[in-house]
Parts: sequence; C-alpha cells; structure tokens
Amino acid sequence: MIKIINPGWLSIIVNGGRYGYGAVGVPPSSALDRYAYCILNRLLGHDKDAPAIEVIGGNFTLTVGADVTCAITGARVKAFLNNQPLSSWAAFPMMKGSILEIQDVGEGFRYYVGFSGGMNLERIINSYSTNLECGFGGFKGRPLQKGDRIDLKNPNMVKPSEIPEKHIPSMKPPHRLRIVEGPEISYFSDDSVGAFAGETVFTVSGRLNRTGIRLEGEPLAFKAEADMSIISEGILPGTVQIPGDGVPIIMLHERTIGGYARIAVVAKADQDLLAHLKPGDHVQFERIGMEKAESLWKSKQETITFLKQTGGRYEKIV
Amino acid sequence: MKLSRYSEDGIRVQFGDSINLEIHNKVRRFYFFLKSLELKEIIDIIPSFTSCLIRFDAEHTTFQKLSSFILEREQTAAADLPEPRTCEVPVRYGGAFGPDMEFLVSSLGLSEDEIINIHTSVIYTVFAVGFIPGFPYLGILDWRLSVPRLETPRVKVPEGSVGIAQLQTGIYTFNSPAGWRIIGRTEKKLFNPREAPYSLLRIGDRIRFLRL
Repeated sequence: MIKIINPGWLSIIVNGGRYGYGAVGVPPSSALDRYAYCILNRLLGHDKDAPAIEVIGGNFTLTVGADVTCAITGARVKAFLNNQPLSSWAAFPMMKGSILEIQDVGEGFRYYVGFSGGMNLERIINSYSTNLECGFGGFKGRPLQKGDRIDLKNPNMVKPSEIPEKHIPSMKPPHRLRIVEGPEISYFSDDSVGAFAGETVFTVSGRLNRTGIRLEGEPLAFKAEADMSIISEGILPGTVQIPGDGVPIIMLHERTIGGYARIAVVAKADQDLLAHLKPGDHVQFERIGMEKAESLWKSKQETITFLKQTGGRYEKIV
Repeated sequence: MKLSRYSEDGIRVQFGDSINLEIHNKVRRFYFFLKSLELKEIIDIIPSFTSCLIRFDAEHTTFQKLSSFILEREQTAAADLPEPRTCEVPVRYGGAFGPDMEFLVSSLGLSEDEIINIHTSVIYTVFAVGFIPGFPYLGILDWRLSVPRLETPRVKVPEGSVGIAQLQTGIYTFNSPAGWRIIGRTEKKLFNPREAPYSLLRIGDRIRFLRL
C-alpha cells in the first residue's frame, strides 16, 4: 500500500495511453513526458504500460506499507527519503513506513513516481491513465488527495540504479520546439509562417492544462481567402492549432477532434518537452522536414532501447 | 480518396471538403473497411466529416508501406457495413436547461416552440464522434436554426447539454468546455467507460430528439 500524505499541486495516475477507441472520441490521456515515463519503467523493471504517478509541483509526500523500490524521473526535483537527499532519475530502496518527500521542483514541470511491482489499479478502456475531464481511469477518475491509499500489486525490490546525466534531457526554458507542417499551413502567408517558425518568441500563458497549452505572442495572419475555422477533423497529440485570434494553442493528449487550422505538429522527438512548458516560459518554433523529424524520433527510441538493455535492470549504470 | 501525411505517425485520408451525406458515406465505408482489416500496425482511427485520420505504429511500419497497402486493399474491399442504429433522445428545452434559447428567439425571429419543432423534426446522422468521448456531431441542422458558435466558449456546461452551431447539433456527454449554443439538456447516457463498446453511438447512427 502507498499512502498519499500530500498530493503536490496536481498528481494523477498515467500510463502509456488509451488507444483503439479514437472513433468514439476516447483520447490517449497518456503520460505527457513519454521518455521520462519509459525510463521510470526501465528503472523499476516494469513493462511499458505500468501505472505511474505524474505530479506537478512540490510538497508531494507519501509513505509505503511494504519494502519496495521507488523511482523518480521527469522534472528535476529536490527529493528526500526520511530527510536524506535523493537524486532523481534513479531507483532507490524505500522501506516500509519511510517517507518520501518532494519538496520543490527545479528544472521542468512534471515528474513521475513509481514503485517496483506496480500499483493495483483498474484498467478502464485498456488503460490506467486518468481522463481528468471525464472522470474515469486512474485512481477513481480523479487527482490523488491527501489520505488516498493505493494497493501495491506485487511489492518487491529491484537493484538501485541511476540514469547517467547525459541521458537526462534539458527542460530549461527558453524552449525550442521543432515542428513539421500541418494540414492547414497554407491558410497562412509565407511571411506569417516564417515569423511563427522563426523569430517570434511566444510565452506560455496561464491557460494550460492536460488538454492544451495556450501561448501568447505575435498573432499569425490568416490569408484573406482562408477560413478561420475548419470542418472539425481528427488531430494527433502535438498539433498546433491557430484559432481566430491568431495565437497558437498546442494540443496535448486529451482531444481526438479539433476545429481550428492545424498549422503544424510538434516533432515527436520534442513532444516530451511539452510536459515541461510552464506559465511564463519562452517558446520558439523551428520548422524541420519529415525526414529529419523521423531520424530524431528514431534516435530517441534507440536511447530508450539502449537504456533498457544496458547493464540489465539490476546494475547501477554510470 | 487522397492520402497525405500527418506528423511522423499519421495518415490523413480525405474524401472531400464539405459536410454532406455523400462524403460521409465514403468516410464511413472506409472506416469500417479499415477496422475490419484489424491491422496491428494501426493504433487508432479517427473518422470525421470529410476524412479518416490513422495513427500508426511507426516502429513496425512506415507511411509509405501502410499507405500502399491500404490503397491496394481498398480497391477490392467489399462494403460490409453495419446497419445504422436509431436512437431517441428526450430533451428538456429552454429555461435553465437551455441558457441560449432566449438569444436564439431574439436573433432568429422564431418562437421557442418553433425552434423546438424544427430541432425535433429532423432525424440526424452521426457524422463523427469525438473531441470528448461519446460526443456525437449531428447533421444536418435546419438552416433556419443556423447560428455562429459563441465568441468565447463557456468554461463548463453540464453533462447532457444539447448544443447547436452552424448546421450542426450535438450532445455534451460530460461536463466540459463548450462553444456551441445550448438549447436544452437530456438525461440519456451516451457514454459509459465501464462497458464496451462504451459509446452508444458511432459514425453513421441516427438520432431523433424528443421534446419532454
């Protein structure tokens, strides 16, 4: 059993995502930083679909009712186990009754916490992820609260290990997001697209959640003959939509259909970074071709595979 | 049918660029055809008014491979389509259930009764299900009820709210943000995450609204 003492600002259960029912509007609701989530599973010897806790904000505290191995990845955090400082992007033993406290978050925005042997949760529509808006999946379809208890599935210990620094991505603003063109890129003039994917510095607004991130900055200009909205159509995570006011919204993993012009899609290799955009951060887009996007994605996949294989899960990797 | 690329792991299959039943039937036929292939390389399919968006597993196939396979199979595909279901949705119109009814009365030059009669006189087709789970995009709304979306969407409308915008009507299946004009509310459950196939409606089904 784990018991939540303080839930941070927002903590929810996530996994690799909910797929197969996009035709009836069911979105993926997956872990936003997929890389950090995959590495967490690797540190704990989990399969690629295990439930993890995705947390925003410090003041996250919990205790465990059995001896387990715990791991933390994602945003750089100031963490303590029974008041002893811990490194993140690492797996460490956590004895029954000990207290894990994440006091503060440094670089990045969302971090992931998991336990060896996994948590005993119900799969809803093929997934452990929480659909917060609709209130299903995860833990009772809601954020974790003080006093919540989650059963550990098969508490066990795995050898502690640590991810080498060079494999921990930078989450520091200003963020540079590489993009590929979207279906409605031609709704905008070349100059406007050039500025959008060039010198324009956008700022992350306070209007952000798991559905999308609204930016602030120089609005894009629609061509005179272009419609300001489209016939509603499917979207994939990372799609950058331009509503009538010309200011971009980056869609995350909670929508299947959109009605605004899709100017671009954030390259898959850079989508993990979207988990770490926070209000006030500066963002610049850079347009790349599909071949480049594919090779970036491939090399990121290879890093995950490499980290899964190197040294096995029982050895410390340095 | 036109195939194009949508990010690293998506294929956009377009059948036209307007809202009508002919294009809808093509999308629907293609969706059920693709689904029937049960390809493990396909992670998800999102059919909508004019297109199907396919998300594929880029670790096990490529855009080129999957596209040519689909084009090849599509030529010989038999149209084995499920029978559309028709579903009745009882609605309480106006008042607290339909906060935009007054606006419609004043801007359309119709009485509340006339608006309700027009809205309930059509058997609507489900053109797409989405944005949120189970939300049916229904068409085609009588042109006399055509109104633009709200300039500023509401942050939250209650589950069951029935909205209209342009030539569409729809039902908010969960408490959610909403940009359409709300004219009523139903208690009918359209989505249940605990029971497959989860959504009462899928593309091509029909809906008739009843006045309560």
